[in-house]
Amino acid sequence: MKGPILQVQNATIKFGGLTAVNDVSFELAQGDLFGLIGPNGAGKTTCFNLITGVYRPTTGSIMFRNDSIAGLSPNRIAQKGIARTFQNIRLFSVLSAAENVMIGCFLRHKVGINSALAYLPPAIKETSRMRREALELLDLMDLADVANSRACDLPYGKQRRLEIARAMATQPELLLLDEPAAGMNPQESDELMRTVRRLRDDFRKTVLLIEHDMKFVMNLCERIVVLDAGKEIAAGPPEAIRNNPRVIEAYLGEAV
Amino acid sequence: MFWIVRILSILAVVGLCFGIQAFALSQTLVAPRLFALTGLYVTLAVSLNLINGITGQFSIGHAAFYQIGAVVAGFLSVRFFADQPLAGPVWLMAMGVVGGLAASLAGLAVGLPSLRLRGDYLAIVTLGFGEIIRIIVLNTDAVGASYGLNVKPKLQFIWMIWLLAALCIAVSRNLLKTVWGLAFLGVREDEIASNAMGVNVTKIKVMAFILGSAFAGAAGAMLAHYEGFINPSMFSMDLSFIVLTMVVLGGSGSITGSVLAAIALFLLPEFLRSAPPVTGSALVAGALSTAVSVAALRWVTHHVHGETRRKVLAYGAGLAGSVTLFLLLRLLLGNVPSLAGISFEASKLRMVIFAATLIILMMLRPQGVFAHHEFSWKWVGRLFGRTNAGVKA
Repeated sequence: MKGPILQVQNATIKFGGLTAVNDVSFELAQGDLFGLIGPNGAGKTTCFNLITGVYRPTTGSIMFRNDSIAGLSPNRIAQKGIARTFQNIRLFSVLSAAENVMIGCFLRHKVGINSALAYLPPAIKETSRMRREALELLDLMDLADVANSRACDLPYGKQRRLEIARAMATQPELLLLDEPAAGMNPQESDELMRTVRRLRDDFRKTVLLIEHDMKFVMNLCERIVVLDAGKEIAAGPPEAIRNNPRVIEAYLGEAV
Repeated sequence: MFWIVRILSILAVVGLCFGIQAFALSQTLVAPRLFALTGLYVTLAVSLNLINGITGQFSIGHAAFYQIGAVVAGFLSVRFFADQPLAGPVWLMAMGVVGGLAASLAGLAVGLPSLRLRGDYLAIVTLGFGEIIRIIVLNTDAVGASYGLNVKPKLQFIWMIWLLAALCIAVSRNLLKTVWGLAFLGVREDEIASNAMGVNVTKIKVMAFILGSAFAGAAGAMLAHYEGFINPSMFSMDLSFIVLTMVVLGGSGSITGSVLAAIALFLLPEFLRSAPPVTGSALVAGALSTAVSVAALRWVTHHVHGETRRKVLAYGAGLAGSVTLFLLLRLLLGNVPSLAGISFEASKLRMVIFAATLIILMMLRPQGVFAHHEFSWKWVGRLFGRTNAGVKA
């Protein structure tokens, strides 16, 4: 079924006198590779925080599969099928890569805590099943060799990929990536682009991403929304965005 | 197969607990009580480690949970023990459960406000909670108010105290071996990320408080029946801080660390109580050799890397060196006339030595003696030169 998976309608959030996101609306269809771009401070990450429940919109609505999710707690939203990564990497730093991903699997556990406290077979089986799943995901993100390394010991690019693996572990329908290519060299970001495309093609995920690397966004995303100072200034396919005078103005300043 | 192993290991642990009791009772008059109290401190430290070390919720009101367990169980025993048919051990076990339940209700009450608080703020709330409980008990005549409560009958079963400690250790260990434990650790590491991964952070925090306080409450019930007397001053803020020190010193999050630090920190002042008088020469020698060993061990920390075995050997050499230095210095200084007349009672110096030990250990290893490591047979194997080529690869 093709239909809107995520609808953001007239979302606005005010922090005191500051309107961080102002009347933003966009719609993601199943299987979209969707980009959210804009200059620094445009409200992109705030948009992510609205969708994932960190903030509640002051006005406007956010619908996920025709279900309002505005105001739900982040963990409920994750359980409904939206997973994210963070702009400033937020891994569980002293835990191993595999353990990080296993925490992503945790929302699907079915065994109660009593079984874990007594270390009974159901809990043992569940744990080893999740470890297997985690290792598969690490393999997918090309991290199998560092499964037992502590997350904080990994190089930057691998930490970014580990965050994606952890988000994938929640088996989301919609994946929000906040600057996934930040700090990567061109070769790494090319590989990442292929991986993200695979997540859509092979795993049928819908992807919404924030990115400053224009080459990355223009090559990967099929539709793009541009924010500036909290307002939506353009929306459309990459070619249209590239030549949109308002976008050029927002990024480069007014022509003299 | 699973159940055979499980039953055998439970039997082994129960056997061990009876072994501890038999050993304790074969000692001189004061010793059995130390064994009992050590077991209780182990339970307190490991249960606080669940809240503080594993889940990262900075709680310094653990004595309150201990007190709630002691008061509730003590009160029930005074009222009802004589009129009921249960035998001593069964009744004590039931009282452990009741004390645990009562304390876990209190844990729930503290856990709920903690959902919005972090770090220092939570610490203040738990501190306040601890004082509130103590002062409520202090002013409640039904449980003896400031005089305290004579708990009759005394039910002194050291094996049961250690069984409780073993249960607490096992539960913590089991938790960490499963994916549930990872969720607890995730909350400690990064609440926001855990929440975004669908982990119900609220639920995990409350569970940690309930579990940790339940064990402290059960330990309180054991204490009340072992001592036969409880008094609000036994559950002062100092106790909370000592237990917290055990957790931090052992290495926050490490069960092994909590157990060993609890044993060491409880017994150190107890043994110093009966230590021989400290002469002037010993005092000077002790201070000098301690300074040298701190320097040596710091050097080892910064310069010796690589295999576990090498590191342990280097630390061992450093410690042995400073002990030798101490003995040598004492011999040399023994003839210095100005030191000869000085003599301190060890029992008066014991809290100084206790504090100095803490300061030195925290200087040497701020992450705690065991950091986040646990005891494992693999580690022992590596220590004794079992090849670790496979581990490295």
